[in-house]
Amino acid sequence: MLKSLRFRLNGKLVEIEGREEQPVLDWLRDDAGLTGTREGCREGDCGACLALLGRRNLEGTGIEWVPAATCLLALGELDGRTLITVEGLAGEGPTPVMKALHVENASQCGFCSPGVTVALSHFLLAEGPRDEAAAVASVEGNLCRCTGYASIGRAARALSSDFSGLPLDFPTRLAALAARGVFPPALAATMQELPEPASPATAAPGSPPSGGSPSLGGGTDWYVRNTDPAPGLSPRFVGRDPELRFIETRGSGGGATLALGAGVTVADFFASKAVRAVAPGIERFEALVASPHIRARATLAGNIANASPVADLTAMLLALDARLVLSGTSDARELPLAEFFLGYKKTVLDGDAIIETILLPAAPRAFSFEKAARRERLDIAAVNTALSLAVDSGGAMRGVIVSAGGVGPVPLLLGTAAAALEGRKPSAPAFREAMEAARAEVAPISDVRGSAEFRKRVLGRLMAAHALRLFPGAFSAEELLA
Amino acid sequence: MKERTDPSALAAVRFDSGDRPESLRNLTGATKYLDDLPEPANLLHAAVVPSPSGHGRRMRVDASKARELDPSVLVLLADSIPGENQMGTAVDDEPLLADGEWHYAGQPVALVLASSKRLARAAAALVRVTGEELPVVTDPREAFAKGQLILKPRVQSSGDLAGAFRAEAEGGRARWIVEGRAESDGQEHVYLETQGAAAEPVDGGLRVISGTQAPSGVQKAVARVLGIPMRELEVEAMRLGGAFGGKEDQAAPWAALAALGAWVTGRPVKLVLSRRDDMRMTGKRHPYSTDFRLAIDAEGKFLGLEMDFYQNAGAACDLSPAIIARSLYHAAGAYRIPAVRAAGYMCRTNLPPFTAFRGFGAPQAIWAMEAAVSKAAEVTGIPALELQQRNLLREGDLTHYGMKMEDCRAGRSFELLLSRNPAARMKAEIDDFNAAHGDKKRGSWVIPLAFGVSFTKLMMNQGGALVHVFNDGSVSVSTGAVEMGQGVGRKILVVAARTLGIPENLVRIERTRTATVANTMPTAASTGSDINGAAALAACEEIRKRLLAFAATVLGAPENELSLGNGLVLRGGRDAGLAWKDLVAKAHEARVDLSAHGFYATPGLFYDMAAERGSPFAYHVYGAALVVAELDTVRGSSRVVRADLVHDGGVPIDALVDRGQIEGAFAQGLGWAILEDLVYGKDGRLLSDTLSTYKLPDMKFMDFPLEIELLDDAANPKAVLGSKAVGEPPFQYGIAGYFAVLEALKAARPGKGGFFDLPLTQEKAIGFLDGGN
Repeated sequence: MLKSLRFRLNGKLVEIEGREEQPVLDWLRDDAGLTGTREGCREGDCGACLALLGRRNLEGTGIEWVPAATCLLALGELDGRTLITVEGLAGEGPTPVMKALHVENASQCGFCSPGVTVALSHFLLAEGPRDEAAAVASVEGNLCRCTGYASIGRAARALSSDFSGLPLDFPTRLAALAARGVFPPALAATMQELPEPASPATAAPGSPPSGGSPSLGGGTDWYVRNTDPAPGLSPRFVGRDPELRFIETRGSGGGATLALGAGVTVADFFASKAVRAVAPGIERFEALVASPHIRARATLAGNIANASPVADLTAMLLALDARLVLSGTSDARELPLAEFFLGYKKTVLDGDAIIETILLPAAPRAFSFEKAARRERLDIAAVNTALSLAVDSGGAMRGVIVSAGGVGPVPLLLGTAAAALEGRKPSAPAFREAMEAARAEVAPISDVRGSAEFRKRVLGRLMAAHALRLFPGAFSAEELLA
Repeated sequence: MKERTDPSALAAVRFDSGDRPESLRNLTGATKYLDDLPEPANLLHAAVVPSPSGHGRRMRVDASKARELDPSVLVLLADSIPGENQMGTAVDDEPLLADGEWHYAGQPVALVLASSKRLARAAAALVRVTGEELPVVTDPREAFAKGQLILKPRVQSSGDLAGAFRAEAEGGRARWIVEGRAESDGQEHVYLETQGAAAEPVDGGLRVISGTQAPSGVQKAVARVLGIPMRELEVEAMRLGGAFGGKEDQAAPWAALAALGAWVTGRPVKLVLSRRDDMRMTGKRHPYSTDFRLAIDAEGKFLGLEMDFYQNAGAACDLSPAIIARSLYHAAGAYRIPAVRAAGYMCRTNLPPFTAFRGFGAPQAIWAMEAAVSKAAEVTGIPALELQQRNLLREGDLTHYGMKMEDCRAGRSFELLLSRNPAARMKAEIDDFNAAHGDKKRGSWVIPLAFGVSFTKLMMNQGGALVHVFNDGSVSVSTGAVEMGQGVGRKILVVAARTLGIPENLVRIERTRTATVANTMPTAASTGSDINGAAALAACEEIRKRLLAFAATVLGAPENELSLGNGLVLRGGRDAGLAWKDLVAKAHEARVDLSAHGFYATPGLFYDMAAERGSPFAYHVYGAALVVAELDTVRGSSRVVRADLVHDGGVPIDALVDRGQIEGAFAQGLGWAILEDLVYGKDGRLLSDTLSTYKLPDMKFMDFPLEIELLDDAANPKAVLGSKAVGEPPFQYGIAGYFAVLEALKAARPGKGGFFDLPLTQEKAIGFLDGGN
C-alpha cells in the first residue's frame, strides 16, 4: 500500500509516497527513470538488476553495504536506507571497475554489464578477503550469456591486484576508493550514514499485516512467486527490524544456547564466530547456498518458513538440532524445527505468528553438508543433506543427527540412518549401513530437478561424502561405495 | 598470436581494447535496449495468452474475467488479424494466433492490451482457454513412425557405401563396423534480454522497433499479417541484449503482435515477454536422435559413414530445413570419409517450433560423429586421438556433398594443439592422476573442427550498406547487420575507417533500419561481418574512388599515385598536403556525391539440390580443442579443469572481439554438452521454464584455465580484410566436454562402454557408475 518512504538514491535524499510492496526494480525503471538496472529473470537468478543497498549492520554499530537483486527487494524496504544504482556509480564517468571490464571486452551485448559492475564494485567495498578467488566469487550471482566469463574473470583478477592494498576499516577504505574514483567522491560522502526512516523500522508487536499481506524476511523467496504484487498489500518487513537481527549466546555450560533472531541473514549466519564455534568449518558450505546477493538479504527464518523441502539452511539447522520460538498474537511457543513442517509447503505458522528466534545447542559438533544440484553455484538442490555428531573419548559417534531435503514433501530427519551410526566407531561398514538406511527411509518423487531413483542414489552418495569429509583417511571412497 | 589467461599477458598489444565507446556505454548503464526507451503517455502494454496444453482443438476462449479487471483491457484473437494469420516462411504452418486448434503448449492464442504491464499480464492470466485435448507427441522417432514429417527427408550420399561397409571376411576392407545412437537434447538461448517489440502508428503506416536479428524479415512478416505493403512499415533493430539465433525468425511473432495491437487501436503498443513466457513460448536448439554407423579398416581409416538424423522440429517448420541442411553438411565432422550417406528427417512434434541457435544443426551432427569416434576407439582399441589424426580432412579432399577443401587447416590446427599438449604427456598426466585418486577420475578429449561458413540457403548470402560522408568529414555507416554483442558494428567500423584511411572515431555505425538498407538478410550464420562488412567496404571504396579522382584534380597529380591514409591524401605514401576533412569539404563544394550504396553477394557459391552436390560454403573455419574434465566418483558430479583451444580466425579485424566470441561460444557449447537440461513433461509442457530450473554456465562453471591460440599466418582471401567468421564455429569445442567427462566415467568403471546421451548430467553419470556393465 502507499506509504511515506525516505531513503537515499544515488546520494540524493528521496521522500515519496510509494507502493511499499512494489519491487524496487520496477520503481527504478518506471518511476525514477533509471533503466541501467535491468530485468533478466525477475527471480534473483541473473543479477542484471543488482544495486548496492546500504543498511544498518548486524551489530548496530554502523552501515554495511550489500548487493541486492532489486527484483526481489520491496520498495518499503528502502525506508531509512540508501541505494546506489549503476547510474550513481557512473555519476562522474566510467569508474576503474568499468574500465577494467572495458579493457577486457567483458561487455558484449551489455545487458548484464551494470549488474556485473555493481557486484565488482561491492567486492572492493566489502569487508573480507580481497584475493583473486574472492574477486571471482563476487560475480557468482551474475549470469552472462555472451562472454563465457573468461574476460569478466580477467577483469575481476586485475581489480583484485590493482586494489590489493586497500585499508581494512570501512571509512578509510571508502575514502581510498573515492580517491580512486570507484565511487564518485560526492556519492561516497553520502555512504557512511543512513537517512532517518519515514516510519519506524520496528513493527509494533502484535501488528498483523493486513489481509493477505505476508511477513517477509528478505522477501527473496516470496517475490519469486509473487512477481507483480497487487497494490494494497502491506508486508511486514521482519528483516528490517533491528530488534530481530541478533546472534547471541544464552545460558552457559552444557545448556548454553545460541539464539538467532528472525532478521539474521544467511550471510550473517556464516560470518558469525559463534555459529562457526558450534559447527566448526560450516563457513566452507556458504558458497553452496544461493549467491552472494541473495545470501546478503535472505534470512534463516525465511528459508525455514518458506518450507521448501530442499531449503539448504533448513537441512543444516535440522542437523544442528535447532528449535524455533514462534511469536504472535495467534500463536507463541517453542518447538523442534522438525515439528514445524506439516506437509508440502505447509507449516504450523498461523495468523500473525512469525519465527522470532532460532535456537541451537551451543556445544560444538562435527558438521558436514552436502548438496546435489545441476550447477555448483546458485542452484536449488535436487537433494541436500547435513550430518552432525560428536565423538566420545572412546572414539564412538554420539548424538548423530542426519537431515535430508528433496527426498520427501518436507525437510526430513533420517532417524534410522542416524541410528545406524549412533554409538559406533566410524567405519566403512557403519556408514554403508547408514547409506542403505537413508535410501530405505525416503520416498522421493520425480520432478524437474531429478528422478526419484536418482534422488535415492545420490542421497547415499552424499552420505558417503559426509563420511569421507568427517573422517579423512579412515576409509576410502571405494570401501564406502563397494 | 598467443593469449593466455595469465594476467601478466593481458596487455598484449593485439588484444588492445581500442576505441569501443559502446562498451563503456554498456558498462555505465547508458545503453538503451527496447524496454529502456521512454514510454509515450498513451502507450498500451501487451501480454500474450498461451495455449493450455500440448495439443488440442475446438478451442474456446473466455476473456470476460480479463476484461472485468480494468477498463483499459482489450483482448485480441485471431479474428482481429486484418491480413493473413500466418508466420511461416518456408511452409505456411504457423499461425500468429492459434485459431481453433493448437499444436504446442505455449502457442500464442490471444493478445492482451492494457494501460500497464502489470495489468496486461494480470489480465492475460485471467483469460481462460479450453478445448478438446488431443494426443501429444514429443519424441521425434515416434513422430517419424506416425509419418509426421515436415517436407521430404533429405539425403546426401557419396562413394561406394556398400563397398565401404563390406567386412574383411566378405572380401572387403572393413575390419570394424561400429554403430550406435546419439541423443542430443535441445538448448534454451537465454539471451539476457527477453523477446520484445514496440509499434506505433506513423503517417498511415507503422514504425516497429523489434528485438530482432532480421529487421527485413520482421517487415515482411508484419506486412503479411496486417495486409499492407512493406513500404508502410519501418522496422528498426536497436542493440539486442543477446540473441544467438533465437531472434532470427522467432522475433517476428512478437513484432507482429505489437504491430497488430497498434494497428487495431491506433496507439503505441509495447510487448516484452517475461522470462517464463519467453522460455515456454519460443523455440530452442533442436533435439536430435541420430543413428550412426562407421566402417573402419585395419589401419584405423574411416571407410564409410551412415548418419540418420531424426530432428525434433517441433510443431512448425520454422528454419528446420536450413538447419537439417547444415547437419547433413557436417555429418562427417572434420573427417575425410570416402563413402557417406547422411539423411535428415524433420519430425513434427507437439513442442514449440525449434529454431536457429549458434551452430544451426552442425553441433548435433558433429556431436554424433564424435560419438562414432568414441565408440570406434572403444571397439578398435586404437586411441581416439590416433583415429582422429589419421582421418582428418586434407587439402583437396572432396566432401560428401562435393565441395573441394581449399586452404584446409584442419591438420595444422590439430598438430599445433598436440604440440602444445603432446599425446603421451596428456595420457601420462591423466593416468597418474587417476592412479593416485580413488575419489576422483579425470578424462580428456580432443575435438577437431571444420565448420562451413555461408547461409545454407544460397539466396541469403547477400547484403547491402549505405555510407554517408558528412561534409565535416565524419562518416555514417548503415548496413543490414544487427549488433547483439557479437561486435559486428565494431568490425564494420574498422572496415570503413581503414578503407577511407581515417581515424576510427570519425565513423558511426547506425542502428539497423529497413528504410535505410532494404531487403537485408538476418544477422546470422556467423556471416554478419563477412557480408555486411563487405557491403560497407564496397560503398566505402566507391566513395574513395570519387574522392581520389577529385583529389587528383585538386592536387594536379595522377590518380593512381594517390591514396587515403592517416586522415590524409597520400601521394606515393606521403602526405600530399590535403587532409581528409579539407578534401571532403572541397569535394562537397565541387558537388561530388559523398554517399554510396554498397552491395555484396558472396561469390562462388552453388548447389544442385537434386544431385545434392555443390559448393555451399565460401570457406571453412578450422580448429581443435582439448578439454580435461574431473569426475567426483563419490558424488557423481564433474567439472572441467582445463581447456586449450587452437582456432583459425583468419586475420581478425578485432582480435579482442574474436577472443570474446571464442570464449563465449565455447562456454555455450560446454553448457549444452554437460550442464543445460531442458525438461519437458509428457504433456509437452516445459518444466524447466525459469532460470531457477534451467541452469546455464556461470562464473564458477567456467572458472578453469582456458588457453586460446589463434593460427598465425592465416589470412583468408574469401572474406573481408582477410578475416574469418567467428560466431558459431567455436561452439563445437564444447562438445569435447561431453567426451572428457565420459572418459573420466570410463576410468571409474574400467571396461564399461560409453553412452551418448547429451547433456551428460550428474543423474546420468550416477546411472552409469551404479549401473551394470
